[in-house]
Amino acid sequence: MDDQACPRCKTTKYRNPSLKLMVNVCGHALCESCVDLLFLKGSGSCPDCNVPLRRCNYRVQLFEDAMVEKEIDIRKRILKDFNKKEEDFATLREYNDYLEDIESIIFNLVNNIDIINTNKRIEQYKKDNKEAILKNKAKIGREELELEEILEIEKLNEESRRAEIVRIEQEAKKQKIREKELLIDELMFADGDAKDILTTFTQNIANHKEEAAPILPKVTQFSTGVKFTRGSGQQPLPIIEEGPLYKYEPPALPDRCGPDPPPISDIIDKGYLQHVRPESETEKAGGYSSVLPCLRALQDALSGLYHAS
Amino acid sequence: MFSTSSQREFWTFSDESVLALHREKHNIGFITKHGQHIDENQRYNFFLSPEEERLLLRNYELHLKEFCRRFQPPMPKGVTGTAFQYFKRFYLYNSTMDYHPKEILATCVYLACKVEEFNVSISQFVANIKGDREKASDIILNNELLLMQQLNYHLTIHNPFRPVEGFLIDIKTRCSLSNPERLRTGIDEFLEKVFLTDACLLYAPSQIALAAVLHAASKEQENLDSYVTDMLFKDAGSDKLAVLIEAVRKIRSMVKMVEGPARERVRAIDKKLDRCRNQENNPDSDIYKQRMREALMDDDITYTGTSRMSLDTSGVTQVLSPSAS
Repeated sequence: MDDQACPRCKTTKYRNPSLKLMVNVCGHALCESCVDLLFLKGSGSCPDCNVPLRRCNYRVQLFEDAMVEKEIDIRKRILKDFNKKEEDFATLREYNDYLEDIESIIFNLVNNIDIINTNKRIEQYKKDNKEAILKNKAKIGREELELEEILEIEKLNEESRRAEIVRIEQEAKKQKIREKELLIDELMFADGDAKDILTTFTQNIANHKEEAAPILPKVTQFSTGVKFTRGSGQQPLPIIEEGPLYKYEPPALPDRCGPDPPPISDIIDKGYLQHVRPESETEKAGGYSSVLPCLRALQDALSGLYHAS
Repeated sequence: MFSTSSQREFWTFSDESVLALHREKHNIGFITKHGQHIDENQRYNFFLSPEEERLLLRNYELHLKEFCRRFQPPMPKGVTGTAFQYFKRFYLYNSTMDYHPKEILATCVYLACKVEEFNVSISQFVANIKGDREKASDIILNNELLLMQQLNYHLTIHNPFRPVEGFLIDIKTRCSLSNPERLRTGIDEFLEKVFLTDACLLYAPSQIALAAVLHAASKEQENLDSYVTDMLFKDAGSDKLAVLIEAVRKIRSMVKMVEGPARERVRAIDKKLDRCRNQENNPDSDIYKQRMREALMDDDITYTGTSRMSLDTSGVTQVLSPSAS
């Protein structure tokens, strides 16, 4: 550790025990004070490799080897886009190839091999898989959110369980003290054989223990997240006065004043649709179907045919 | 659906005589209101008679058809049909002497464009009108609310065009008729003429459509009678069939009788109308301009004068009639 030194001001850990080395995406380290000095304006270039950097991207170096830090950075960035899962591939073989691809890209970037082509490859991938990337990102976000929720719930459960255990322990302690006192009292004031009293007491305690087998409250949970505890503290549901059940009655169809149009099933089955323009893909997405105009035309044609002045 | 529509309830009449009665009533109403100073027997020398009004309207219906045909951008058939309906409905309860047909015509088409969702702006619309376009747009916008009020806001029109499509789909599906598409020209011609008759005020759009289809079929030397009797009216009673046959026959004969009114006659009537029309509704007259000014002033000063401005024209004429007569 002692040979850690800032490449710019040459300060070492030995001379300044509070020395903190920081790294940025390029993987070159600087000490905290140098970062403060060089990046006063928020951005600047790396003194080692002249890559433009931002101050906010500096962070404390965790690993001794700055290259490891660089790799972590690059890996994070690449995986943001190369976020396919095993489910996205047909075979395991393809998935493994994909993983290998990622690794070789990262390796290239870390070791400055063929950077231009590699970057081109990444761009190409991004372009080709724009939708999939977005989808997976959203998915990951959702999964993380769910995970957090589950963790939260588990934490709460854990806490309540711990509190319960503490309470029970305290209770048991108190019980023990009380029993002891009782025993001493008995021994002091009763005039029976001390041995007898001792045995009856131990028996009593054993009996008690059996009875008071730990009744941990059983917690069940509804999928809606409503906590539901059986036993103590549960209040009966309020009974709501209910009227007669709603009964659906189909609204009366108005008089068509004409012959009945064919039902939709007939329109589909009996070939009416051959004479209507079929709906396009986009129209289908909007909920349109060629059955609708066909039925409407037929209804309009037949409605009013019986009209008599 | 037509069977539950306001069109069936309020605007489909039982008989041609009912239509004639309405028209005559408003003709007489106008004359008695504005012609008190003229001798009973001389009145028709100055005012239009109901027959003359009919001829005039026939002529303007031809104009309406032409206007819609030439309209740019080309309008769908439904707009034309709706405009015709509005025009006919308006003059059932109004006299041509009160509102000049040429103004109402444009307003009807404009309103029909809106109702049938054929999107044209007023500037686009008046680009189709010859003459002073600014004045035309003023007239149209001024008359639009009046027209809607006179139509009693029954703006949904059931045109025979969709029923025609329905019949063609049905015929293609259930009939053995070869190439039903060839009926189309006949149907279109027939429907164009139907709007020059009163058929759409007397019969259901589906009946008119069926008449058009049958007429086109007979022109093509085809017979669709069995389609009507054995398929459409299979479950209906013979009385209903008889009603339909009568309706179809009547519509076809009405269409056959269509003829354009004589030019000279119409020109004479037009001239007569220019003299006897209600000057309060003539945008070129002084009295109209003065009224508009007054209305504007009223609007500026106080809102109590709204009754004067209201489109209830009977109210307006009452307020102004002393100065008019």
